[in-house]
Amino acid sequence: MTLDRMGSEIEIMTPGQEAKAKPLLLRFDRWWLLFAGVVLTTFLLVIKEPDPYRRIVVFLTDGIRVTLGITLASFLFILVVGLIGGLGRIAKNPIINGVASIYVEIIRGIPLLVQLLFIYYALPILLRDLGVRLAGIWPALSVRLINVKLNPFLAAVVGLTVCYGAYMSEIFRAGIEAVPKGQMEAARSLGMGYLQAMRYVILPQAVRVILPPVGNEFVALLKDSSLVSVVAVADMTRRGREFMASTFMPLETWLMVALLYLVMTLFFARVVAYIERKTSFVR
Amino acid sequence: MSDDIIEIEHVSKRFGKVVALDDVSLEVRRGEVVVIIGPSGSGKSTLLRCINHLEAVDSGSIVVDGIPLTEAKNIDKVRAEVGIVFQLFNLFPHLTALGNVTLAQRIVRKTSKEEAERIAHQLLAKVHIPEKADVYPGQLSGGQKQRVAIARAMAMQPKIMLFDEPTSALDPEMIKEVLDVMLDLAQEGMTMVVVSHEIGFVKAAANRIFLLCEGHIVEEATPEELFTAPKEERTKQFLKQILI
Repeated sequence: MTLDRMGSEIEIMTPGQEAKAKPLLLRFDRWWLLFAGVVLTTFLLVIKEPDPYRRIVVFLTDGIRVTLGITLASFLFILVVGLIGGLGRIAKNPIINGVASIYVEIIRGIPLLVQLLFIYYALPILLRDLGVRLAGIWPALSVRLINVKLNPFLAAVVGLTVCYGAYMSEIFRAGIEAVPKGQMEAARSLGMGYLQAMRYVILPQAVRVILPPVGNEFVALLKDSSLVSVVAVADMTRRGREFMASTFMPLETWLMVALLYLVMTLFFARVVAYIERKTSFVR
Repeated sequence: MSDDIIEIEHVSKRFGKVVALDDVSLEVRRGEVVVIIGPSGSGKSTLLRCINHLEAVDSGSIVVDGIPLTEAKNIDKVRAEVGIVFQLFNLFPHLTALGNVTLAQRIVRKTSKEEAERIAHQLLAKVHIPEKADVYPGQLSGGQKQRVAIARAMAMQPKIMLFDEPTSALDPEMIKEVLDVMLDLAQEGMTMVVVSHEIGFVKAAANRIFLLCEGHIVEEATPEELFTAPKEERTKQFLKQILI
């Protein structure tokens, strides 16, 4: 038993040690080549065939900004929701645990597209009905609810956060549970409270465990952000549809949109891989 | 103030159907070194873990330095007074040796960074590894890890130190370096409760020995009594096994 448990103990190298050992050029692995290839292709298309590719890129520029903005904004909230949800999932308190578990189970069972449609189209009606019912009880709130108008950008961020927050909760839960139980005991035995032990001992180790799946989630989120185009957000995909509708050039339009998504996802995947290497584990 | 720093009265603890502790009573005096021996699964570790409330007792009471452990508010306070050293070290792998020793001082005791580091360097020197301050646990040997763990517990300036089989996960040549540190502590008058079968340590440092068997205290003895004239049949059997 002793040997077995020793084997499962995680040993961590000094952060950055491995990366420092290699010369700068070798830190870029061969997947950077693929990234460079895709960037080059996009670039050549724009230079050699300014009509229509340059026009498309110019037309999509706002969309690119919106796609990146929504992804980054949502991701920040998703990390917060994931942390709270993950802590809730491992909580011994049955109410906290129950709420977190129900949230995760329900959200994971509904397609993201349906959730986005629900938040944008159904939620305002729900709030309006609630407002009508509250008219006699709480007039001020009632008026607010009846006049509620959802900002599409906000609705998109809320939708993505609610959905991805559930997946992220499971990732955080798994990461926290991957830290050996003795770590919490050692921290508590030194007089730290539960939250202090989480903050200073468990989470710093869990973060290293969950970095790869969290990075995957980010890239997945970037792609899934294209779904917000159905709720009136002018992201890259929606701008692509608008361009196609006015020019009838589906091949060129969607080729460019696909290439631009690919540039972004490949780039962020490389960034994630780089961070992963910098905080690598030795088992 | 009472002379007994730990008072354990009629403590029972079960895990599901397994009875780990069955009506155990013992007290530890200030400055005393008490060693608990017994076959595996006899409840030694459980008893130790109950003393700083890593396990809650089912019945009975434990009073540490005048503070009853049943009141939840006291737990963190008691834990800061009671250091524990684990069989598998449980060092924080993401922190250097120095970080391991300073962390709890900083956030529990609110010691300043300079002061915490000064104390940590002193303690690492005391456990004979001053040069390992900036090394991560992954690069330390088992014996060095355990000595960092002792320094980490000592940094809280505990009144009591608990040792849960501190040498049983170590290679033979590393056992001595850990036992030497423990002997130093004993000689300085630290109150210690040690679960260990290291006969050398027991003979050199123990004031009293308890043999625990299936959750009961079978025998209480001084080292001389235990090794020359054990009273109980069960004790003789057990000693025969560990003295091979």
